[in-house]
Amino acid sequence: MELYEQTASVLSEMLRRRECSAQELLISVQERIGEMEPRIGAYLTFSGDAMQQARAVDEARARGESLHPLAGIPIAVKDNISTKGLRTTCASRMLEDYIPPYDATVIQKLKAAGMVILGKTNMDEFAMGSSTETSYFHPTCNPHRIGYSAGGSSGGSAAAVAAGETILALGSDTGGSVRQPAAFCGIAGLKPTYGSVSRYGLVAYASSFDQIGPMGRSVKDIAMLCSLISGHDPMDATSVKREFPDLAPALRPEISGMRIGIPKELFNNSISDEIRDCVMNALRQLESMGAVLKEISLPLTKYAVNTYYILACAEASSNLARFDGVRYGYRAQGCQSLAELYERTRSEGFGEEVKRRILLGTFVLSAGYYETYYQKARAVQRRIRQEYAESFRDCDLIAAPSAPCSAFRLGESSSPAERYRTDLCTVPANLAGLPAISIPCGVTGTGLPAGLQLIGTWFAEQQLLNAAHAYERQTGGFPAPVKGGAV
Amino acid sequence: MKIDIQHIAKLAGLRIEEDQQPRFIRDMEEILAMAGDLPDTAELTAPEPDPMVLREDVVTADPLERDLLLQNAPEVLAGCVVVPKTVQQ
Repeated sequence: MELYEQTASVLSEMLRRRECSAQELLISVQERIGEMEPRIGAYLTFSGDAMQQARAVDEARARGESLHPLAGIPIAVKDNISTKGLRTTCASRMLEDYIPPYDATVIQKLKAAGMVILGKTNMDEFAMGSSTETSYFHPTCNPHRIGYSAGGSSGGSAAAVAAGETILALGSDTGGSVRQPAAFCGIAGLKPTYGSVSRYGLVAYASSFDQIGPMGRSVKDIAMLCSLISGHDPMDATSVKREFPDLAPALRPEISGMRIGIPKELFNNSISDEIRDCVMNALRQLESMGAVLKEISLPLTKYAVNTYYILACAEASSNLARFDGVRYGYRAQGCQSLAELYERTRSEGFGEEVKRRILLGTFVLSAGYYETYYQKARAVQRRIRQEYAESFRDCDLIAAPSAPCSAFRLGESSSPAERYRTDLCTVPANLAGLPAISIPCGVTGTGLPAGLQLIGTWFAEQQLLNAAHAYERQTGGFPAPVKGGAV
Repeated sequence: MKIDIQHIAKLAGLRIEEDQQPRFIRDMEEILAMAGDLPDTAELTAPEPDPMVLREDVVTADPLERDLLLQNAPEVLAGCVVVPKTVQQ
């Protein structure tokens, strides 16, 4: 087995026992990148100093320094997370040449732990999309089947993990952007409870939903990375002040007696038969291991996509107002006035999907429509949150598909509204701020992975990961990286 | 629902070329027809979640250096960002 095929938890032990060095591991992953990247297109930028980072870890270990368990483990970072001195584009022409002058809090934590940052991964432009096709640069292919999407918006991160082009990755999840690509690529991805992970340095899309999350090939890997990046940060006013336990050492394959709610609204005919079968088989497996399945109803689920798009676009229209061509980013040439500079810079710098969402957000906040759209959606959001709180009185976890279908074919034509509807399984957890994980649960007839989503109550990451770990153990672990022969 | 795309684009600081307007209008109308389907808020009472906790408003030494920040600016003159003339004669 090649080093790039191993999980972070196994590699952590191998590094500790000096069975391999961080530099050897990095070489293995970089060779794999050389082999796969021309077909996958997971990355936008590579770090110039990855080998130096790895060497520093090896030298520290040689000196007998006490190291973080993730020291020396390669990681890929979604390109909307600011990395000092390393280009951060948000996959947009607007930020094509932007070099952040500071590190996001999560990046400071990765560096402090000695993780090796490989580079920045492709995504939908400003995280607006679900297939990486809105990237200004190129789409990312699904390693399981070239010609199909890796999902989005964290499609580059998911594909890199699935193809063995990294060991771990960071994504961000505003409406499912960690969980859906994780499902499409057959890996694990967690959206932590809102407020667990600092958003400082994450380029904002919809601030009240955005949350950075870990992606990997085992639940333990996810647990290790989640604990590393969680914690209160005074630089983010929505960061929660509480203790965040170390999840990985407490990871137990515990499922017996756990009450799992199955909301009928997320198993109806909006879900493809194949995906429903995969998810139901996984749930029956959990039942055979002692979980108690309960059918529940979350009636407001039918309004979740509508609510999400009104609120997310409203926030986006405000957040993206900062891109004006003055202080950083793209600037239109030959403008005679400041007003012309703003307008032309934004029109030339943003892609179509970003413009569409800014326009939608501007519309729902405009005079005469604010009450009909934005205010109403805020009320529905609070009610959805309450509906989940009530459900967690009778359930420990809620299960659903991670996406209603398997990966889209690249270039598949669908209207924006049709594409938005495919977010129905993931947006409720964002609206309610709940933690949710996607784990692989089989493949469809076309050979594309299906994802099981488990949603926990606020800050119940440990319970969520324990259940996911129980399933992982029972099924013999999640798939290793896709072999070279992706078709 | 009829969208005045030029008005909305103006508010958003965007310019939508004339040949693109019909497509934007069609897509936005379709999205708003979908997203506008929400239950009556009068029936929906739920508390606001906990408010944000803001940090003390204290000035601290900012490690970000002026030169570093200006490296990303499209046009710089004498340590300042240059923009088109804003004062009308």
